[in-house]
Amino acid sequence: MDKHIFTLCSGIPTKQENRTTDSNNGWTIICFTFLIFILSASISIAQVTVTGTVTSANNGRTLPGVNVLEKGTSNGASTDKNGEYELEVTGPNAVLVFSYIGYLSKEVPVRNRQTINVKLKEDVEKLKEVVVIGYGEQTRETLTSSVSSVSSADIQNTPSAGADQLIQGQAAGVQVSSNSGMPGGGISINIRGTNSISGGSDPLYVVDGVPIETGNFGLGTGGAQTSAIADLDPSNIESIEVLKDASATAIYGARASNGVVLITTKRGSNSEPIIQFSTYYGINEAVNTPDLVSGSNFEMLMNEAARNNGEPIPYSNPDNAINTNWADKVFRTGAVRSHDLTFSGGNEFMKYSISGSNFTQDGVIRPTNFKRNNARVNLDLQATDNLSFGTSITYSNSSRNRVRNNDNITGVLGGVYFYPTNLPVYQQDNSYTKFSIFENPVAAVEEVDFDMSVNRLIGNVFGEYEFTPGLTFRTSWSYDYNQVSEERYNNTFTNEGSAVNGSALATTALSNNWTVENTLNYLFNVDSHNFSVLLGTSIQESTFERTTASGQQFPSNDFRRIEDAAVQTSSSTGTSSGIASFFGRLKYDYDGKYLLTANVRRDGSSRFGERNQWGTFPSVALGWVASEESFFNIDWMSNLKLRASYGVTGNQSGIDNFQALGLWGGESYTENPGTSPQQLANPNLKWETTNQLDLGIDIGLFDDRLSIVYDYYYKKTDNLLLAVPVPMSTGFEELVQNYGEIENEGMELSISGDIISREELKWNLNFNISGNRNKILELASPFNVYNRDIYRYQEGYPMYSFYLHKQLGVNPETGEPIFEDVDNNGTFNPNVDRKIVGNANPDFFGGITNRFNYKNVDLSVFFQYSYGGDQLNWNRFFQEHGGTRNTGFLSSQLDRWQEPGDQTMVPKMTSDNYASNLRPSRFLEDGSYMRLKKLTVGYSLPNQFLGELGISSLRFYVTGQNLLTFTNYSGLDPEVTATATSSLTKGIEFYTQPQARSVIGGFDIKF
Amino acid sequence: MKYLQFYLLGILIVASGCDVLNQDPQTAIAEEDAIRNEKSAEAALNGLYGQLQSGDYYGDNILIISDIASDISQSVGTWDFYREIDTYNTVPGNLENRNLWSEAYATVNHANNIISQVPELENVPQESKDQIIGEAYFIRALAYFDLTRTYGGVSGVAGTMGVPIVTEPSRAIGENSYPSRSSIEESYTQVENDLKEAESRLSGFSNPNWASEAAAKALRSRLYLYTKDYGLAEQYATDVIDNYNFSLVEDFQDIFYSENTSEAIFELAFNTTDPSSIRSWYFPSSRGGRGDIALHTDFVEKVKSRPQDERGDLIGFDANIGVYYPSKYQKTGADDNIQILRLAEMYLNRAEARVRKQPVDLSGALADLNEIRNRAGLQDTAGTGVDTAQEILRAIELERGIEFFEEGHRWYNLVRTGRAQDVLSNIDRENSEPVSLDNAGRLVFPIPSRDIDANENLQQNEAYR
Repeated sequence: MDKHIFTLCSGIPTKQENRTTDSNNGWTIICFTFLIFILSASISIAQVTVTGTVTSANNGRTLPGVNVLEKGTSNGASTDKNGEYELEVTGPNAVLVFSYIGYLSKEVPVRNRQTINVKLKEDVEKLKEVVVIGYGEQTRETLTSSVSSVSSADIQNTPSAGADQLIQGQAAGVQVSSNSGMPGGGISINIRGTNSISGGSDPLYVVDGVPIETGNFGLGTGGAQTSAIADLDPSNIESIEVLKDASATAIYGARASNGVVLITTKRGSNSEPIIQFSTYYGINEAVNTPDLVSGSNFEMLMNEAARNNGEPIPYSNPDNAINTNWADKVFRTGAVRSHDLTFSGGNEFMKYSISGSNFTQDGVIRPTNFKRNNARVNLDLQATDNLSFGTSITYSNSSRNRVRNNDNITGVLGGVYFYPTNLPVYQQDNSYTKFSIFENPVAAVEEVDFDMSVNRLIGNVFGEYEFTPGLTFRTSWSYDYNQVSEERYNNTFTNEGSAVNGSALATTALSNNWTVENTLNYLFNVDSHNFSVLLGTSIQESTFERTTASGQQFPSNDFRRIEDAAVQTSSSTGTSSGIASFFGRLKYDYDGKYLLTANVRRDGSSRFGERNQWGTFPSVALGWVASEESFFNIDWMSNLKLRASYGVTGNQSGIDNFQALGLWGGESYTENPGTSPQQLANPNLKWETTNQLDLGIDIGLFDDRLSIVYDYYYKKTDNLLLAVPVPMSTGFEELVQNYGEIENEGMELSISGDIISREELKWNLNFNISGNRNKILELASPFNVYNRDIYRYQEGYPMYSFYLHKQLGVNPETGEPIFEDVDNNGTFNPNVDRKIVGNANPDFFGGITNRFNYKNVDLSVFFQYSYGGDQLNWNRFFQEHGGTRNTGFLSSQLDRWQEPGDQTMVPKMTSDNYASNLRPSRFLEDGSYMRLKKLTVGYSLPNQFLGELGISSLRFYVTGQNLLTFTNYSGLDPEVTATATSSLTKGIEFYTQPQARSVIGGFDIKF
Repeated sequence: MKYLQFYLLGILIVASGCDVLNQDPQTAIAEEDAIRNEKSAEAALNGLYGQLQSGDYYGDNILIISDIASDISQSVGTWDFYREIDTYNTVPGNLENRNLWSEAYATVNHANNIISQVPELENVPQESKDQIIGEAYFIRALAYFDLTRTYGGVSGVAGTMGVPIVTEPSRAIGENSYPSRSSIEESYTQVENDLKEAESRLSGFSNPNWASEAAAKALRSRLYLYTKDYGLAEQYATDVIDNYNFSLVEDFQDIFYSENTSEAIFELAFNTTDPSSIRSWYFPSSRGGRGDIALHTDFVEKVKSRPQDERGDLIGFDANIGVYYPSKYQKTGADDNIQILRLAEMYLNRAEARVRKQPVDLSGALADLNEIRNRAGLQDTAGTGVDTAQEILRAIELERGIEFFEEGHRWYNLVRTGRAQDVLSNIDRENSEPVSLDNAGRLVFPIPSRDIDANENLQQNEAYR
């Protein structure tokens, strides 16, 4: 056995001129150890040569790349492009083992034969399902970690606007919420709770091996985000794997704490050319629109408030008031359409999958829309028997027409809520009615141009070389390019534009992110001891640049580009970061019964402080497949596997690129350039560390017709990255430090089964439920976030805790609100009598999917649910103002106390009862809901009609989304979050565009 | 070697990877490099003025807070933080209150950096050093003055404690980062000492956009009214009036509509690329503002009751909501300068000092008062029943109110003179019942709750505990 170990060490100090920190070794010397094991199996003298062809038992095609191994040795070969193999074996009594991914292995004794042709059966059992894992794939049978898969079987037949929707409600422990109903809008995915306070809870997304950037590069529109994975065409996706426990994620080291989402796009297979065309059309409409009082009621309420305050009434004749339904002026029914064309196929030399698609979605608020053109080329080339190459390249170009919304007073929805309904849209001179600082909603829709276009290229080129059977070197070069351009123009009819004769803003953001990864994989076995060893290195660098220009003072509204503006300003900025890593994994099993997986990754990051530049993230997992034991004889239980894993992962996303350094930035005084202190240094800054324990059990019943997966986990994250408040008398407000602890503990259960599995009638059920308990264990000091301090972070409480005045009721005699006297000193003092009254975390959540097939008709019904989370209807805070403002009223104001004896939570309308320092808890509502997320009915034409036309399949379908929602929540949508740009807040609706209900119809045709 | 090409590939990959951990910021520099020669010291000084420009401080906030807490302006919009202050419901968590505290201390820390580092620089001429350090001392004095009068109070009149005094730059969080409060006297002494340091390094006056010897003296004249050293207040006001060629501009509105007039002693500059947000707070949406803050109608009526008073011309009416707004800040590019110290105040400071000092000088006081009245188009006070010391003080109070409305003087003057609770009673508001400042403890603002939480050595003002 030869063994070569190469260590390459490169440590050329490159001291930067403008950095005079004392650091040297940490920053400048990066020692890279590159290990290559070359293991060649000892070769014994062969006595018999066996040849043969391996074919598929299902379709008779030859199978290339099948592993042929002499049992009990490492002597093996694989079939060539024609499915043929040749192997010298030790003797006539040898046994050959044929194995191929997706097929059942087969053992064949040689018995003196020289030609052995073998047919392999496709593995249809779920347990043999291949799961994509970090840097590889594996059968579910030997998986020791917790991975949820959404496979093509789950994905096909249900069209989705975005990749995120494919996971929603499908994977236990994964909470997916749409942040708004804005087309192409952001989503938030939480895997097993939130592990970080300020570090963000987004998982790492890896598309075909490329860790992609998911930052929000667009202009803010308030709290709204656009989704970075919206650039992916969901119909291109073969499978999505969500890696949840430390054993699965630790291979991604310092970025793995929040879980990892692996997205695999479709590749070609060894088949005749297939042409597939899919298209659908549909409509979108708002399920709910803001429920504001009529113009007459507005005036009546304002009069009542004035009367109660002892002031003259402002409106003499409310009955004759104008009544403007602002929502009607901006909401609409929009169109959705999608076209998708794919060519795929291949032979033993080359496999291809090439597709193009076009998707358009109109939002329910004028004039929002989202258009995406997508092209993808996935190629696999077999250059020689040992050498193969491949590409996975996706290009997408998307454009969005946006409006400002969410937590934004100049937004459309803000205007709808704030503008009193007794104001007309237009004044007599046809100008827009203006009101306070809010934008007239019609003007916000009609007079603002706000466009965003995104060019995204995610490309990966890889090469693989097989030294000997089982020993493979893979090099993978990836590039993620994202260019986001935005133009916004407010003409002189808008508030912003009127002050400056038209105002325009243009930005271009460029994100470049390259990754080079090299792995060496060695699969071998000694008797029944099966080993798989992975070693690898990874280098990644990200750069980001943004150029911004703005213009004011336009000659007229016919001019919209900055070129024509009299006052022009511009700026540019940039930043960069890098990660260098090495990693290894050992997988071992004994006869498929006793399983072990051990991972380790070592990550260095440019973001870490000089004293902590490298971190190590290990994990280990054990599994026992009890059902494989000879003593296991429960007939109806076809599979029983126990799993346990423990490991350490990190999260570095809470560190800004140069957070560890003490910096001064630019601060000019008119035309005089200047500088000012920006942040304090923290050379100890490092990743957040999550220790996770996972205990799981996989059960298969009745020949795996019913499978149950249950997991318990406990995660403790310490060294939390927190902007710890420092006394402001230092001149700084906070210092980002590794301080604090948080825990997440939870359970996940998913059950899937073929309840009825007859030739003509099939019923498949997928059910999952998850619960997570989040608790803050340690903080430097409690702190409040968001406007009016409505969230509080405090030890012993979960994140997203709402900090309000607990309203107990309204005194039926006086109409005054009664608040809890928290400190029990006899009087309610708004300064101190505030407490945590709830939180946005659901007690449990999940999804139920039922799929029925009857002859050629298929029906799929998907419900999503969430129970026990609180949702703050912050619109009510502003629109149930009791007359203390002159802005619109929500109809909930009509429930106010009016006369002694009234039982209500809404106080008498006086300025005291609605004082500006009150944060009443009555706006915090139960956000539980159950939603019929998707309902699809399809019909596939019977084959006998198709054959003559050269069509291999044709299916028509109709899908409805968000058709029904069961909830007690009074706002527009219990699922949305207005403040998605902040990781500190959740569960708040604040002028947020609700999700749309859509109905679409389409067909898929395959040639 | 059979696999030579792979080893070579490996070397290539490793070599390309070694630099990715070496990244440098593109928009900032290391703190050690911030002040290292004359040019960078000047840049740091420019940045110090940039701190004053912040919307949390002299960009608008301190002016708004003072006027909205008094009987001049009222909150009619959605920004609750100003409504809390307007209605005397300010809570320690109030965002604008916190912003003022935070930005004033950021200014102090920035000045501390200049004051401690510039003297150490080599190859910088002493005159340049003096100019830079002197201006930094002036700005630090201004910041401590504002902090003390807002959160500390005035000895014997309002408040019981001063503010934390920090004179070293912050480079890390350590034991010294948790100061406790000094006394009110110590706080004002810090201001006085910084002004003396500034005066000793600066000479004369050339441009009101930059701190000068004149500005330091003008601030001392104001300071001594707070410390009741009336003789010194008069002396420094006289010094400024007599020695630097300042003169009252003829047309009152020119102070705001022109820039850097002969009256300006310290005027914070803004331009279209470095604009101020103050105009937007007052201007109604029909004129492109957010219209959150309006004048109290009673105040406007008081001004308009004197039709010949030209200062009343700087008031507009928003017919949409039915409220008055000031038009001192009205430039389309939002580049209105902010008046921090101007000559008219020196006359009024001196007038007040002459009434309060021993021996009193009532005729001198009236002469100063009339300078201001005449410039505004009003007659002398003769025959209007302004004769006794008490009457003159009231007349000065009234004149200050009208002269400096929306310039951030009113609240502080009412608190300083012990008049706040009398005057700020039953103030009529647009969207609530009339409000009154009932609690004497609220003559000072709360220490922001965030700092009370973060620094256990810091004691809250009594009314907010």
